[in-house]
Parts: sequence; C-alpha cells; structure tokens
Amino acid sequence: MRRVLVRRLGQALIVLVGVVIVTFGVARLVPGDPAITYAGPRASQEELDRVRVELGLDRPWPEQLVDYAGGVATGDWGTSLHTRRPVLDDLSTAVPASLELVLVALVVAALVGVPLGILAARRRGRLVDGTIRLLSTLAVSMPVFWLGLILQNVFFARLGWLPVAGEYDPQLDYTSPLTVWTRMTVVDALIGGNWPVLSSALAHLALPAAAVAAYPTGAIAQMTRASLLETVGEDHVRMARALGFGERAIYGRLALRPALNPVIALVALVFAYSLANTFLVEAIFNWPGLGSYAAASITTLDTPAILGVTLFVAVAYVLANLLVDLVQAAIDPRVRRAL
Amino acid sequence: MAAAVPAQTEQVPTAGRLRALTGDRLALLGAAIVLVVLVCALLAPVLAPSPEDAGGATDPVNALLAPSGDHLLGTDQVGRDILSRLLYGARTSLRIAVEVIGLAILIGLPLGMVAGYVGGLLDDVLMRVTDVFLAFPALLLALALAAVLTPSVGNAAIAIAVTWWPWYARLIRAQAATVASSGYVASARALGVSHARILLRHVLPNSAAPVIVQASVDFGGVILTAAALSYLGLGAQDPTPEWGLMVSQGQSLFTTQWWVVTFPGLAILLTALGFNLLGDGLRSILDPRQVTRDRHP
Amino acid sequence: MRRYQGIAVALLAALAAAGCGETKQPAGAPPGSTGADGAAAATSAASASGEAAPSGNAPTDATFTYANGNNIVTDFDPATSYSNEVIALNNVYEQLTRYDAETKTVKPLLADSWTSTADGKSWTFRLHPGVTFHTGKPVTAAAAKAAIERTIKLKGGAAYIWDAVETIQAPDDATLTFKLKYAAPIDLISSSTYAAFIYDTTAAGDGDLKKWFGQAKDAGTGPYVVGAWKKGDQNELRLEQFPDYWRGWEGAHYKHVLFQYVPEETTRRQLLDSGQASMADRLSPQLFAEAKDQGRLATAERPSFQNLIAFLNTSHGPLKDVRVRQAVSKAIDYEGIVAVLKGSAVPASGLIPEGLLGYKEGLAQAKDLDAAKTLMGQAGYGEGKRAKLLLTISNGDADQRVVATLLKSNLAEIGIDVTVQPLEWQTQWDKAKSTDPTKRQDIFVMYWWPDYADPFSWFVNLFKSADPPFFNVSYLVDPAIDKQIDALPSLTATDREAAQASYEAIQTRLLEQAVAVPLYVVNYQRVLQKNVSGYVDNPAYANVAFVYDLTPTG
Repeated sequence: MRRVLVRRLGQALIVLVGVVIVTFGVARLVPGDPAITYAGPRASQEELDRVRVELGLDRPWPEQLVDYAGGVATGDWGTSLHTRRPVLDDLSTAVPASLELVLVALVVAALVGVPLGILAARRRGRLVDGTIRLLSTLAVSMPVFWLGLILQNVFFARLGWLPVAGEYDPQLDYTSPLTVWTRMTVVDALIGGNWPVLSSALAHLALPAAAVAAYPTGAIAQMTRASLLETVGEDHVRMARALGFGERAIYGRLALRPALNPVIALVALVFAYSLANTFLVEAIFNWPGLGSYAAASITTLDTPAILGVTLFVAVAYVLANLLVDLVQAAIDPRVRRAL
Repeated sequence: MAAAVPAQTEQVPTAGRLRALTGDRLALLGAAIVLVVLVCALLAPVLAPSPEDAGGATDPVNALLAPSGDHLLGTDQVGRDILSRLLYGARTSLRIAVEVIGLAILIGLPLGMVAGYVGGLLDDVLMRVTDVFLAFPALLLALALAAVLTPSVGNAAIAIAVTWWPWYARLIRAQAATVASSGYVASARALGVSHARILLRHVLPNSAAPVIVQASVDFGGVILTAAALSYLGLGAQDPTPEWGLMVSQGQSLFTTQWWVVTFPGLAILLTALGFNLLGDGLRSILDPRQVTRDRHP
Repeated sequence: MRRYQGIAVALLAALAAAGCGETKQPAGAPPGSTGADGAAAATSAASASGEAAPSGNAPTDATFTYANGNNIVTDFDPATSYSNEVIALNNVYEQLTRYDAETKTVKPLLADSWTSTADGKSWTFRLHPGVTFHTGKPVTAAAAKAAIERTIKLKGGAAYIWDAVETIQAPDDATLTFKLKYAAPIDLISSSTYAAFIYDTTAAGDGDLKKWFGQAKDAGTGPYVVGAWKKGDQNELRLEQFPDYWRGWEGAHYKHVLFQYVPEETTRRQLLDSGQASMADRLSPQLFAEAKDQGRLATAERPSFQNLIAFLNTSHGPLKDVRVRQAVSKAIDYEGIVAVLKGSAVPASGLIPEGLLGYKEGLAQAKDLDAAKTLMGQAGYGEGKRAKLLLTISNGDADQRVVATLLKSNLAEIGIDVTVQPLEWQTQWDKAKSTDPTKRQDIFVMYWWPDYADPFSWFVNLFKSADPPFFNVSYLVDPAIDKQIDALPSLTATDREAAQASYEAIQTRLLEQAVAVPLYVVNYQRVLQKNVSGYVDNPAYANVAFVYDLTPTG
C-alpha cells in the first residue's frame, strides 16, 4: 500500500508540473500586450516599460516560467489584470459558488442516476431498460447551455415557479443579513440558521443545478447499469445465484458494492467535467462562480486569471483522481495491483 | 490517471434475445438519426429552401418571422431562413467532428504505437504527457486555446483535437503493448522483420477495431464541445451556419422569438444523441471486450 | 468616450482591498452579524448606516436596484474613473455643474452661479455654501481646486477635458476661478460625466489616496455613499443614503441603491418581471417591445449621444482610394440596419447626434447601389477583380455582430469581400494601433459618445491627425481639418453660431471624403418598475440614473 501511495503521489506531482508548463505555454500564446491591458490605453511608453518590469515581461521566458511555477507552489498565482486582485483571492470567492453548484448537481445526479442504473440492470432488455438507456443517453447528449435556457423559459418565464438568476434575493441582505463562513450560500445559511436566505438560496439553486446535473445523471446511470451487469456476470455472483440467493440479494448486496467502485471513479471524472460545464451555465444564471469569472477573464484577455482558472480545474481533476485511486486501492486489492 | 474503469461488457451469450433486440433498437434509432443528419449535410443545397441564407445573404425586411409556410422554422435577426441554416449547419458540425477525430488519431496513433511498442522510459514519458493533457477537461483547454487563436471553425477543431488525442494515444498504446509483449514479435525480430513492418502489419490492424469504436463514440462528444465553443463565441463566426453559434445569437430573443434558439439546440441534441446511441451500439457489437472507455470531454 | 468594456482604464492599479469585496451584508447591518472578514466600508459608510438614518427624513426603506449589463466598478478613483462605474459614482460625487439635456443648458450643482469674461479665457464660479464632503470636511473653493488639480495631475481617464486650464485660483472659500490658455466652455466642461468630480483630496490623511479609494471608499458630496462592493458578484455594489446630504432628504427618496451586474439581457428582463430589479440599462429591442406591449413595466426611450461609426482606413489598402470609400458608404443599407435593430437604433444624420452643438439635419447617408458600383468600376474593380477588406468589431456586442453581418452582405453586392473579425476591444484597438500599417484593419467599427455634452470629443479624438495613431482609426491626415478642429473650443466658448457652422463644414468634408461612416445613433431603451417615478434619461450622462431625483411610490 505504501509503495502504491508513493508511486501514485509521484505521478500526480509530475502531472501537476506538466499542467503548470502547459498553462504557461498557452498563456504565452495570448495575443495582445498584457502590459497595455494592465496599464491602460492612455499610458505613456515609460509607464508601459515600468509595468513590463513589474510584471516580469522583460525577462526571458524560461525565467518567467520558473518564476510562475515557484509562485504557483507558494500561493502566488499572479495578479488579475482585470480585477487587479491576486488571482487566488478572486478564485477563493468564485470557487465556493461553483463548488456549491457542482456538488449539489452531483448529489442529485448520484441520487437519481444510481437507482436508475440499478433498475435498468435488473430489468435489462425490457422496456424500462430501453427507456432508461435512451433517457440517460439524451442526458449526456444535452447541450447544457441550451438546457439552461429551456429551464429558464419553462420554470421562470412560463410557469413562474422558480427564480431566474443569482444566488438569493438581494433584498434579504437588509431583512436577514447572511453571515459569511464558507461562501457557499446554502451552507452559510444552514450554519447561521438563516432560514429566509436558505429557502431563497435553494430556490435559486434549483435551475442551474438541474442544468449542470444532466450530464452526470446520465453518465452515472449508464455506468451503474454497465458495471452491475458486469459484476452480475462474475463467478461469485453466479455462484450465489446457483445457491439460490434471490435477485434482491444479488443486486442489493453482492453485486452492488463492487459495481459502485467504478461509479465512484466516474464521479471524480465527472466532477472536473462539471466544473468546466459551469462555464456554459453560470453566465445564463448569473451565478457568481468560476465559470462567470473565467468567461470574464477570457473576454478581457486576462492572462493570469485564465491561467488561474485552468490551473485550478486541472489541479482539482488531478487531486480528485488521486483521491479516488487511493481510496479504491485502500478498499480493493485488485485495484491496488493495477496501480 | 486511468483508474480501474470497468469493462462495460454485454454478456452476449447469456443475454436474452429481447435485450439484444432493445439494444439494437436504440442503436438503430441512433443510426437512423445519423443517417438523417448525413443526408441533410450532403443534400443541403437541394433541401434548403434558400441556400444563400447559409452564406452571406441577409434580408432585414423579413427579420424574425415566426415559423410559417414560407419559412418552416422561421427567420433569424437578419432575416435568414433558419431551416436552411440548420441544414448547412449539419455540414459544419460533421466537418468539425471529422477534423477533430482525424487530427486526434493522426497525433495519437504514432505516439501510442511507439510508446506501447518501445516501452520503458519513452513509454513512461509519453504516458505522463497524456496524463497532463487529460487533466484538462476538453472544454476548458479548448476554451483557453480558442481564446488564444483567432476564433474560427478550423481553430476550434484544432483546440478540441489538442485535448482529444491522448485518448487515442492510450488506446493504441495498449494494443501495441499487447502485440509487443507477445512471443510473436520476438520470433519475427529473430527472422529479421523490421520494427516498422511489425508496427504496420501487426500493431496497426489490431488497433483498427477499438479506434473505430472509440471514434464513433467520440463523434457526439466532439459535436457537443464544438457547439459549446461556438456558443461562447470562440468557434464558428457568422455567417458560418453553426448550431451553437445560432443558439447564442438567439439567446436574448428566447422569450420573444423562441424559434431562433429552439431549433438549433434541438439539432445539437438530436445529432449528439444519434451518434452516442450508434456509438454504444457499435461498441457492443465490434468490441465486446470493451477496451475503450467513455469519454468525458 | 469609448466604452472600455470592463477593461480598467485607470493608469495605476487601484489595489482593491481585501475587505471590500467580501461581506455578504449591507453596511448598515448591525455589527456582530458581520462575516469573518466583513469589516467592509467601515469608515464613511458607517455614518450613513441603517442606525443613523432613522433620525433623518427618509420616509421609506426603498431600494433602487439597477440591473446593468457590464461590470460596475473597475476604478473607484474619481480622478481617473473612465469606465462603467460612473453610473454609480455620479450618485456619490458631484460636479460644479450639471448639463440638462432637455433645455440644452448647463445648470448649477455645487456651483450656484458662474461668469466668464468676453474672451472666454477666465471663468469664475460661486460655490454653494454649507456643503460638506462625506468625510465631514466643508467644500471650499480651495478643496475644489485641489480636487481638479489632482485630477489634472494624474492625467488618467478623461483628464484631458481640462487641457485649456492654465491655473485655478481660490481667492476665498466660495470663489473658484479658472484662467485658461485658450477659450473653452468651462461651465460645460465642469459638467462632465468623467474627471469633473469634486472630492476631498485629504480623505486619506497622510496615506495614499489612490489606494484609499481602491478600498471602495469615497470622499464625495453626493446623496449616496459607497456601502459594500462585491467584485464579480451579481449584487456588485451597494450605495447607502448620506444623511447630511446638502440638498436634504425632504419627500420620498430611495434609501439604498443596488447595482447589479447581469450580463444576460433575458435575465435582466426577468429580474424586472419578478420585481427584483427596478431598472435595466438596456434590453434587446425585442424584449423591450415585449415589455412595452405587456404594460406591466414602465418604459422610457430617447435617442442618445452615442453613435456607432465605421472608420475607413484612409492610409493603406483598397480604402486609400477615396472612390472605394465612397462606394462603401453608398453600398450600406442604412435603413436595413436600423430596421434589424428594431427600435434600439435611430438613423444618424452626420457624425454628431441630435441634441448637441453641430448637429445638422439632412446629412444622413443613403444606399445607392448603382452609384456605388460605378465608383468601384472607376476605381478599377469589377468583373473578376474583387476587393478584400478586414472589418473589426467588438466581441461582446450583439448589435455590432448583427451590423457586421449586414455590412458583409451589403459590400458583397459591390464586389467587396469582407472578413469580419470580432475581437476583444483591447485587441481590436491594439491591432488598429499596429506600428506596421499592413497589420491594421480596413474598417473599424466602434461606438463613441462625449465625455460632456459637446461634440468636440468626436473630432479631436477621431479625426485630428495623430502619429502614432490613438483613437483616429481612420488614420486621417488633413492639416486643414486639424486647423479647424483646433479652433473649435475657442469658438464654442465665444461664438456658438460660428462653432455650429464650423462643425457642419467639417462633417460635410469628412462625409464627402467617406473618412468614416456613421451607421446609426443608439436609442436608449430603458425598462423600469412602474413604482419608480421621476426618471428622465439624460444622454449627457450615458446610462446614469440619478437616484436622488427618483421617487419610490406605492
């Protein structure tokens, strides 16, 4: 186990270094002069020169890379050209909002996707199975930006059931101000026992979370079904069946636990994918998260911010994978050998 | 990175006929949708009521007409026939998908073959490189790249391909490694067969089936990603008929002129659905051992 | 001024302080309920907080919520601010004067009255007595002088408006005198949306004033003070009533102002529908028409001082030939553009929007395809020989995209193939300023509007020769026009009829030479809640809602 841990950590570290190099490489390609963006269009040549030195743009790029990598490691992710705040500060306000969205979406996806997958597997080949497979394929084929618009149109514009945008009703800031702990509104409202904000936040969360949840729900349902069918085909389950165990016991106890292992791995993959999907959903719902921040930094060619977001999501992906691999290795000796 | 992702095995021998039939039905549905999309793309000039609307033409007087006999799916904000643009849009989407997957195979194939065949340090390095690229969700790296390159259909394809090739590299590496570790290679080498010949004659043909399966599964994902890029303004540019771009152009009209957004969105959804269903079907027929895995763009 | 879509224009980094963007509550909330790091806006805002106000005259607790499509704040420094934040800062800071677009006159604000000498080179303002800054310091002539001098010295934003000023004197507390290098309309200039705010230059004490402002603090005289600022948040900026405001709080006024950053038009519309927003800056023409038809919301529209202009490259490429430029200007379907924008655009007559000095009826361009084709033929184009042009627009603007689509289609009819490049404003502009002329665009499309209610900014910025190029993206070099432009400020200050004639002459010449093609004038379309009364759009202050003048009803 220890060898696995060391080896896996080493790999992750190498990948992280690669990620930093790639993001830096992409940033170097960005057209336009960051110094001009930073200094403003009416800046004089001297000011531009001064800003270039300040931003380190006057030095050769390997030096800039080393500088950048060192900064990343020590928590200095540069200063946003647009907001003029440290990128890490910007991220620390944007990330919780996105995490809230993605986590809620994943929980919903797991709660809906796993039972659907089990149902489909148990009724494999029947109409229910076909329907679930069709629906789950529809879900993974959904253009989320379009789904977001449809949801808005149906549930806000036509039915008027749910609010359209934002995290909660801003008027509540006056009537029941929210204490900030985690920057996740729902969590903060729970901690502070702020019920008006909590109900408002949940209502605001419903539509964007539903849009983000579409893909993971479909993917989890598909994976659960496939994984279950595979486990059911394995020797020990066949043996159990031969010994007269009922279908309920086979699916519920014997097959489900091992079958869910790959589903957990999938959730980690889908987590990063959903973070990227917030790019398409947050703008529509005016959700003040990573996606909105990234969209703004891309349209303003804010290199450090683009780098910061890219880096953050990539690191989140690497760490989520690492975590899943290690957890699985800890429970399952077969996985340990595979690593 | 790839944790033990399970085989998505269909137990063909033990499977009931009914189940196979349903599976086939979905795959058939997918094939039918794909066929329709292909026909639309091929016959766009014939089918489109006003082919010039897919190009530079505009007709301000007839802007934002609701669907009617003259314009079955209505017109957009500069008076172009939406049906015509949808039909031509099928060409754009298919073109991007073919370009991306072609490029991905072009990069992934040689790298994967060499890595798997040679093994050792080179293999380790190449696989870590694929790990690095896999760490970026396709949409994200493509976004960053597309923001760097001048937005266009071609550059969107390049940006997506950059994030897509590692899958093919890994796939082909696995095939190459299997061949390389078989006793056959050692004896062939002893007989003086060149490495190049072994790669071409044995590794390449063995990789064909999984690559085809992977490509068919990938089509839907690439089309979705390309539409997302265009939606964000980083892919196709007007007047190129592209579905994601059409959604973004109609976004502010959604509550007032629903048809501008609804139809292109449906086109993306159905096309991706068709390819995904077909891809899953092909996977269970061509590649029952499931060396491929689901793509998460 | 060109709208810098969200790109900060300030020269120096306004180092935003950690505290300001983070509190999730208004400044007026009771202490102790503050979040972990919510020490925001502790200074000036505290005096205007909820506890202080009840003793004042405010009869309601109403909030005016303004949903805006752009980021609100990029620069809190009243000297250098030159971007979207002015919609908020004009409620926090005040100028000496304010331009009234209805009567086309300059009205008193912090200055009660003013006089100028006959040669227009000396101006004396009498300040309103008893006004204090939010910092508590009285507004004296010396303080006003210090503010304007700091603005001039920093050279940021629109500081150029004071270029004519030689010295400023404050002989006593109420008298402020400007001595000018050349005649200029200082009464009008001091009403400017940008760079004309009077603020307390001693607000930071010994500290760095720029940094102090950067912490979302203010030192103005206006009716509202900065409450909380949450960068990037939908509810980006809050303002709170300043209880000691010099014009008083008699009658019904809004107590809080909330600026929301809502990039999607549909979302802005829906926030209005649900009553969460009081007003939106702009909706798509279709959404506006729908709101107007439904009648549940109030609408207001009027032509603005903002026009969209296509600048033709007079120094390089096919458009160097005046005949090709003229052909372009005659090939454009101006009516079609206005038709497609369905109410958010009105036809332009010349380069100056209606309501400003120098506007002239009858300068509207018209499509004349035959004439355009003839001109192309004369220029040597025709069968088999097509011209290729690169047109750049700003990426984020939906209207510009539609216009580009139409232009491309129009010009194809006269044998010109246009490549449209939607670029970020910064990139678009950098390209226009390339030192290598072959790398520049052929047609540059952008909005322009004045910093104060005067057309001078179009001409001095856009058509006066400048090398290297700055905003003169037609690259025009015409000494005769330069000379005419230079004479405009003096003429405006001394002889407005002569100025009018000069503006007309310059426009006629520019249009004849097809240096730039005015495409349309933006029609402001605002949607408000019906319970907001007193809203009058003042195009001299683009997108600003003067919340003090609004009354919450029912």
